[in-house]
Amino acid sequence: MSNPLPNKTISVRIDGELVTAHEGQTILEAARANGKQIPTLCYLKGLSAVGACRVCVVELAGTDRLLPACTTPIQDGMSIKTTSAKLTLYRRMAVELLLVERNHICSSCVSNSHCELQSMAQSLGITHVRYSYNNPRLQVDMSHPRFVLDHNRCILCTRCVRVCAEVEGANVWEVASRGIYSRIVSDLKDDWGHAHNCTGCGKCVQACPTGALAEKGQSVHEMVKQGDAVTRLATQRAGQASGAH
Amino acid sequence: MPRIQDIGAFSAVRESGLAKLMPAIPRLTVGMGTCGRGNGAEEVYHALNEAVQRSGLDVLLAGVGCFGSCFQEPLVSVRLPGCPLVVLHRVQANDAGRILEAISTGAMPPDLIYCKIEEWDHITGFVKYGQGYPEIAPWNQIPFFKGQKKIVLRNCGLINPSDIEEYIAVGGYQALYKVLIDGRTDSVIEQIKASRLRGRGGAGFLTGNKWDFMAKAKSDAKYIICNADEGDPGAYMNRNEIEGDPHSLLEGMIIGGYVMGATEGIVYVRAEYPLAVRRLNRAIEQAREYGLLGTNILDRGFNFNIELVQGAGAFVCGEETALIASLEGFAGRPHPRPPFPAQKGLWGKPTNINNVETWCNIAPIITRGPAWFAETGSVKSPGTKVFSLVGKIQNTGLVEMPLGTPLKSFIYDIGEGAVAGRRVKAVQTGGPSGGCIPVEMLDTPVDYESLAQLGSIMGSGGMVVLDEDNCMVDVARYFVEFTHSESCGKCVPCRVGLNKALSILNSITKGNGSSEHLVLLDELGRMVRECSLCGLGQSAPNPVLTTIRHFREEYEDHIVAHRCRAGVCQELALSPCENSCPLRMNIPRFLELYQEGRLEDAFESVILDNPLPASTGRVCQHPCDNRCRRQSFDEVVNMREVHRFLADSIYQSDLFEPMLERIKARKLAPTGRKVAVAGSGPTGLTAAFYLAMLGHDVTIFEERSEAGGMLRFAIPEYRLPKSVLRRELDLIEGVGVKMVFNTRVGFDLPLNELASAFDAVFLSIGTWKESWLYLPGTELKNVHPALPFLESVARHDQVSMGARVAVIGGGNAAIDSARTVLRMGAEATILYRRERKDMPAIDEEIQAAEEEGVRFVFLAAPHRILGDADGNVKAIEIVKTRLGEYDKSGRRRPIPTDEVQRYECDSVILAVGETFDVDFCRASGLALKEEGTIVVDRFTLETSRPGFYAGGDVITGASNMSNAMSGGKQAARKMDERLMGDSLSGEQRWESLFPDFEYSRQAPGEPSLSRRHTAHSLPAQARAHSQDEVVDGLSSQEALEECRRCLRCDLRATASTH
Repeated sequence: MSNPLPNKTISVRIDGELVTAHEGQTILEAARANGKQIPTLCYLKGLSAVGACRVCVVELAGTDRLLPACTTPIQDGMSIKTTSAKLTLYRRMAVELLLVERNHICSSCVSNSHCELQSMAQSLGITHVRYSYNNPRLQVDMSHPRFVLDHNRCILCTRCVRVCAEVEGANVWEVASRGIYSRIVSDLKDDWGHAHNCTGCGKCVQACPTGALAEKGQSVHEMVKQGDAVTRLATQRAGQASGAH
Repeated sequence: MPRIQDIGAFSAVRESGLAKLMPAIPRLTVGMGTCGRGNGAEEVYHALNEAVQRSGLDVLLAGVGCFGSCFQEPLVSVRLPGCPLVVLHRVQANDAGRILEAISTGAMPPDLIYCKIEEWDHITGFVKYGQGYPEIAPWNQIPFFKGQKKIVLRNCGLINPSDIEEYIAVGGYQALYKVLIDGRTDSVIEQIKASRLRGRGGAGFLTGNKWDFMAKAKSDAKYIICNADEGDPGAYMNRNEIEGDPHSLLEGMIIGGYVMGATEGIVYVRAEYPLAVRRLNRAIEQAREYGLLGTNILDRGFNFNIELVQGAGAFVCGEETALIASLEGFAGRPHPRPPFPAQKGLWGKPTNINNVETWCNIAPIITRGPAWFAETGSVKSPGTKVFSLVGKIQNTGLVEMPLGTPLKSFIYDIGEGAVAGRRVKAVQTGGPSGGCIPVEMLDTPVDYESLAQLGSIMGSGGMVVLDEDNCMVDVARYFVEFTHSESCGKCVPCRVGLNKALSILNSITKGNGSSEHLVLLDELGRMVRECSLCGLGQSAPNPVLTTIRHFREEYEDHIVAHRCRAGVCQELALSPCENSCPLRMNIPRFLELYQEGRLEDAFESVILDNPLPASTGRVCQHPCDNRCRRQSFDEVVNMREVHRFLADSIYQSDLFEPMLERIKARKLAPTGRKVAVAGSGPTGLTAAFYLAMLGHDVTIFEERSEAGGMLRFAIPEYRLPKSVLRRELDLIEGVGVKMVFNTRVGFDLPLNELASAFDAVFLSIGTWKESWLYLPGTELKNVHPALPFLESVARHDQVSMGARVAVIGGGNAAIDSARTVLRMGAEATILYRRERKDMPAIDEEIQAAEEEGVRFVFLAAPHRILGDADGNVKAIEIVKTRLGEYDKSGRRRPIPTDEVQRYECDSVILAVGETFDVDFCRASGLALKEEGTIVVDRFTLETSRPGFYAGGDVITGASNMSNAMSGGKQAARKMDERLMGDSLSGEQRWESLFPDFEYSRQAPGEPSLSRRHTAHSLPAQARAHSQDEVVDGLSSQEALEECRRCLRCDLRATASTH
């Protein structure tokens, strides 16, 4: 989304403060460029934004609708609120819903204490959930020689899908089925180990915010991801493609 | 056929089309939409075809689309040269011969005639069929069509959708011709803008603005899409529009393509609509052939193609970005907007998407101009909208009405109200993502903003009518189940939020709900609505949020009282009869116990559920009859008469004493708590019985000198003999209830005194005040309110009334008064302002009154009572009424006419309803509602004063016996819970009153085929002047056979496991 060539400057208000942004930026990019933090989960800088997790919703003056900061282009004169009681409630609810959807048991997770879902829940002050746990019985795909896919930890952010398609160009991952039955699948719903187009680069593992994709051989707490590396790679590539440095 | 390139060729095609539409020979058409076919139109068509060939007559036979009145299908139209089009309804294949005969004689089969059409405004053209058949009603006089305005459906059901020439004959493609000849695209957009046409897919965005964006977008390629992915359950507008008039859609799209600079059009239609697909394909083919589609359209150098793509049936593909994803070969998942399709749509190019109906509005707007279009409908929402009116309503079908028409016109004028014997409860608009609008709000105009204000949406035009047999929690659950399974899963609120909402709704309908669930559900609904990515999620919570908003009591009933009034939620009901009974009597159990030859057990089952079984067995309104599933087979089981029989068998034999001992043995140990009950009517007696059984020391204080309340003093001897009531009272006193007479609580005995002497007080003093009619002449002698009249008769007091008595009213008190008058040797005439079917009295009682010779004058509202010089009544004048609009009770409102009639009479009885005792309520010092009744908690029946409870008519307003008793039963249970501490032990104490009967849980292999047994009545002559009980009970053999007729709905089928 970000364009290395600065576009026309525009003025917007974020949380009451008058700031400068560039045309073509999203609300999220403009906010971050001005030092404002908006929480995100499915967003990963360098990949296309999909607006799936709805944790980054913000309020825009003049409309009742909440807008996802990651996909909404910023426009001149916009007045945006990034925090409010309602936004906090809804962000919390979105994370609560993710926590009950599958089996996020931190104490036995390779990503414990390095997990974006976990730290998001902590930063939003979630101490318990109010909805019943779904406790689905989901598969763990161990067929790949180096990596593991544990559907129990997946939050369907589709970062793996995007990094594989947009950066590696291998298109191993897709989302199959729909609604609550949506699952990340490799190849044509084959085991990951049998996915012919997988290059084994591991970018999906590094992009994954939870313990759903992990390296084999890691124990509880040991899986530290390098999402920044993916971003670095992706933005470098975007820079090369547009001929700028 | 040569391509049309000039106006001359156009006229030639037009002539040729008219020759088919109005031929010089008879023309027969059959409604061959999916609705017609579903009702056998194909068989009718073939039969007619054969009959035509056999007869050798020269007849043109054609298939047409749906005319809208789907409930009258199959429709056949007959047009003889120079005559009006005569529409025949509910035609069967074997009517073909008669129809052919009608063609040769000109006399239509009277039983098949529906309506006639003398002329028709096709909007783009006008057709005059001819005049004649004065005896046949014109189409727009039929209630279903009255008020409809057909713009979108202008050709549906009249022209042959498979013949482009017929479409051209009624002015089709003229608008396209005009646009292409003018060649000014901006003026067309201005016209669409000026018409203020709004998108008919549901969102209601201004079509002109949308076209403008697209026209201004610069690109090498642009696309036009028609969204025909109609997926709402219960909605089929688009299907029938395409089936009946595909060219109307094509013409709109071609115009749009030209104006917005597109060269490709795509119709995205559900694969589940095979007939629509076939007709559309045929129409595209024909339009190409005639030079109206493809290259160089109308020789004006404009190239435009339309392709048809079949969707695989995902509901979310109706969302435009998901639809585009689907067209591009991806899974149907939406994208965030912006970018909007007009900026970046199909294949990344500017794309315009409109609904079928929006496209169908284009040609009329071009032809007749925007000002004409804006004449119809409301200012903000001009034009018409097609709705599919379905559900619990008499007339179902496609209805095209001006926007802004009140919802009640749809329900009561077009739809002619609920199906017989039921009441409309709510209307669900906008499909699964719409909301439920309660019947109290049916004045709402149907337009985008008004529906949104009530939390619903217009959607694509689904309108599902719900009646009292629909549970609103279940309705919400059903729709969320649908949207949940159709959610694409991309965004968290819709994917998981709906999943959790569904699981909460499932818990509530299974009786596992908690009050926290309601809070969570409401919060979840708001979050999903505000945070979801696309329209599906944003609107999916509407059914939940609107039902919580408008039907919160139903949710609370499910959660707090584990009660589903509609009887839909299976886990909350034992059987339909048990669920409908205000006392929740376990009806299948006593039927089975008696069938097993266990009279005492059957009676015990009855008496513990209902402490006045002999009285209710005689006078109950028997709501169980409405629900009994046996009625779908032959007739309902006569449950009321069986429990009367059981009660009489015990009361009239020496089994009474042992039975009393048996019941007393079930009493819980004395608690030492003292409870006072004010009033000894059915409510007070019921509460006292259960409180005594629970071990409390109960005293009833009664204002009159005898117990029974209305049972004793309002219901006449011939319906409920005092000797029967005596036995019931014996039993209640037998379990330890004490009675103090001639004591009026609140006056003779102040509430504070009661409070100091008793641990709890229950107020059940009924509604003994007669509502008064403020008419000239009510001050005359011999004008009696019904209740005091009945009471005087019951006391054997002298009542002067003369030889001719007029009774005003239609309830049970009116019938009881009239029949009592007969028994006193006078004539009785009932004057009622509505019709017989609207009378609130029990039907059997009305019938009995008729048999005995009571005269009825319906549609008669009292005007004034005339007296003589001595102040005696000599006559009553009534105003004849006619029935007007439906009111909130679902009955037509009586409207006075100018006609006044006079009836000579010597006295008048006013039976226009009973009301509560205002003096008592005011004196009580308890919190009162606005109208003056005592405020109680709906579930505990506790008043504003701790320890004081109230129930029965005094709370609900005049009702009936079983409803009144249910208040007493509920109060006893709740008072015991309060008196005895925590509610858990209260629950156990209550449950322990009821024995666990062992009885067969086997469904009858073959239920008895015997017909319903009704109780015997004395002959009308013999009984009309006697106080003897009119209705004799069932014999033991009849009662037994009646028990065997039960289908045992209380047994649930369970899948066998291996």
